[in-house]
Amino acid sequence: MTVLPELRVEVTPTFIVSTALATRDFQDVHHDRDRAIARGSKDIFLNILTTTGLVQRFVTDWAGPGALVRGVSIRLGVPCYAYDTLVFSGRAVSTSDGVTTVEVVGRNSMGDHVTGTVRVVLP
Amino acid sequence: MITDEAERIAALGPSPRRPARDAVNPAMINNWTEALGDGNSAYPELAPPAMVQVWTMRGLHPAAEEHDPLAAMSAVLDEAGYTSVVATNCEQTYHRYLRPGEHVSVSSVLDAVVGPKRTALGEGWFVTTRSTWFVGDEPVAEMLFRILKFKPGNKSTASALQPTVSRDTEFFWQGTKLGELRVQRCSACGVVRHPPGPMCPRCNALDPGYVVATGLGEVFSYVVHHHPPVPGRELPYVVALVELSEGVRMLGELVGVPPDEVRVGLPVRVGFRPVGEFVLPVWEAR
Amino acid sequence: MKGAAIAGIGATEFSKDSGRSELRLAAEAALSALADAGLKPSDVDGMVSFTMDTNSEIALARELGVPELSFFSRVNYGGGAACATVQHAAMAVATGAAEVVLCYRAFNERSGHRFGRVSTAAALTVENSWSYPMGLGTPAGTVAMVARRYMHEYGATSEDFGRVAVTMRAHAATNPRAWFHGRPITLAEHQNSRWITEPLHLLDCCQESDGAVALVVTSTSRARDLPRPPVLVRAAAQGSGPDQYVMASYYREDLAALPEMNLVGRQLWRQSGLEPSDVDVAVLYDHFTPYVLIQLEELGFCGRGEARHFLAEQGIGLDGRLPVNPHGGQLGEAYIHGMNGIAEAVRQVRGDSVNQVNGVRHVLVTAGTGVPTSGLVLGV
Repeated sequence: MTVLPELRVEVTPTFIVSTALATRDFQDVHHDRDRAIARGSKDIFLNILTTTGLVQRFVTDWAGPGALVRGVSIRLGVPCYAYDTLVFSGRAVSTSDGVTTVEVVGRNSMGDHVTGTVRVVLP
Repeated sequence: MITDEAERIAALGPSPRRPARDAVNPAMINNWTEALGDGNSAYPELAPPAMVQVWTMRGLHPAAEEHDPLAAMSAVLDEAGYTSVVATNCEQTYHRYLRPGEHVSVSSVLDAVVGPKRTALGEGWFVTTRSTWFVGDEPVAEMLFRILKFKPGNKSTASALQPTVSRDTEFFWQGTKLGELRVQRCSACGVVRHPPGPMCPRCNALDPGYVVATGLGEVFSYVVHHHPPVPGRELPYVVALVELSEGVRMLGELVGVPPDEVRVGLPVRVGFRPVGEFVLPVWEAR
Repeated sequence: MKGAAIAGIGATEFSKDSGRSELRLAAEAALSALADAGLKPSDVDGMVSFTMDTNSEIALARELGVPELSFFSRVNYGGGAACATVQHAAMAVATGAAEVVLCYRAFNERSGHRFGRVSTAAALTVENSWSYPMGLGTPAGTVAMVARRYMHEYGATSEDFGRVAVTMRAHAATNPRAWFHGRPITLAEHQNSRWITEPLHLLDCCQESDGAVALVVTSTSRARDLPRPPVLVRAAAQGSGPDQYVMASYYREDLAALPEMNLVGRQLWRQSGLEPSDVDVAVLYDHFTPYVLIQLEELGFCGRGEARHFLAEQGIGLDGRLPVNPHGGQLGEAYIHGMNGIAEAVRQVRGDSVNQVNGVRHVLVTAGTGVPTSGLVLGV
């Protein structure tokens, strides 16, 4: 069982906004603080497509450019608001038929933002 | 009614394939890798697989979508009062990586609607859809996506009771607006105190300051309120008296924990909930 | 407090809808108390009520035709005022500020403004801003928070609270004045009653009532010349504890306690020279059952955390070690903010209660719990 190197992401407002736009997600809660608060959130927060992308990045940072990601399954927990820090940790738990399963957790100051698994063919 | 509508929408089967606005292209891949900080050198010759949904996002001015089963089911639940939404699961499978120049389309089907369930957020229905992305007729990726449509626990924040603020207490409410839990601390003798007041009861100094609390604590006591109705709240709900690690106690609603799972000693952390012009501290399990 | 006595008691009927104004209720009860004392409105020269009462002393004086008042006062903190009205009256009598003082409380608490609801107006104080907006805005809710901690610390259960309710309803069942006359309950009914605020069931909470009670306080020497046997104020005290709040004293070290009642108790024992074993009947404020247990502890009838054993083994029924609230209390008779309990204490000392305990010499009475409070020892 291999433990992956930790990935820390400083979730600045710029990060939330730029990733939301790069994933073509224009919902106001991801870029407009006033609207986000009016809708009951503390601040703008990370969108799901970015969370999925970060989980994938966390694994490929470790596995390298030759890896083939076969699937990303995530369960969403607490939101990740601006000014928080998101820390990913993970471990490769098994390999079968050439596909390695990596368990991933992304935590912030409020708790588990994301838990999930990534299936990846290592080079 | 909800179940009937779910069956009707599910019976429509997969929606017609909706093409992406753009072909897979290096510019959007680079925007994505730049924003997410992904330095994988396989991109942009290949597209990051997790971008598959990005290609078919509906953009800044989405057209009305009559064939989208998630939109249709959401409308039914909105109508029934389950107006809030939170995504709970996203499971993507990639059959192969995409390359610039390929043009994907997507089709979705309603997979399951389960409820009503009593959740930490309120009563709600779990709606699961499955989507498939195609290049031509070749399926290249699939996604199971599950959301919870729920009746918000805080029914009408407008009519909820709001605090009355004095010169002695305004620092606290200014703090919650900034996401800070401020505990009064005497600038002269250092004693911490909550609720705050103008004079230090230990040294009688008139020099109150504050510390920003960690927001970590344990439930010291709690109640589950069932009756009578309370403005702006859906019943039942939990109110906890929390002993903070700074040594003071503070009241707040305990959110996200089913009433029968609350106990004295439960570790909690502070969260913040806007109510009208104010932001109230609330407790969440940690 | 030697020198003062309760010479008369009066009340309206206790109902859910009096159908008349609060001022009229006050006037009716006051007139009835004066008649009981063998006095006329023109004999009255002092009045004391609750800060919360909507009937001013001058309004009541106008209705009764009381020509002059040389003493008038109010006591704050809800039901905590009850026994203190008698204390303030006794002090006025002792100092000569007044000779005949009416203590009164009148309200349409069921058909009018109900205390059990969430009061938006009450939320508008700085002090209540630490509880009401957080979702804790009812008396039951504030007591439930203490009750939960009490259960956690001492192992008390909802059934222990239920024993109080069952006993009060048993007493009320044989009291024709009681709203719950003829309607006793079982412990199972208590347990099956719906939640109000966990851990409190509906039957842990006292009823809401319309009605009024008035008492006449005068000097012992004058009382001896009146038709009724004087009921002496053997001791009277108020109490407020450390870091005191109204119903939400949650920030002092011991949550499962009533230090303000402990202070009242210490004064009562010292003034009267009595001790708990000398008490023949106790009228304990019972707006919510858990506080009856904590009062038994604070007043010294049992050790801390031991009230559940006291209830189960010694008993608070008419035949128990300590008969509590023979009239049925506020759980059974009516919720008149504790004033009906003082009237019952007077009847017990006089020996003419419908649920009379034999050989009563000393009755302890307490006022509202969870608030700055007061207490009395009445006796022969």
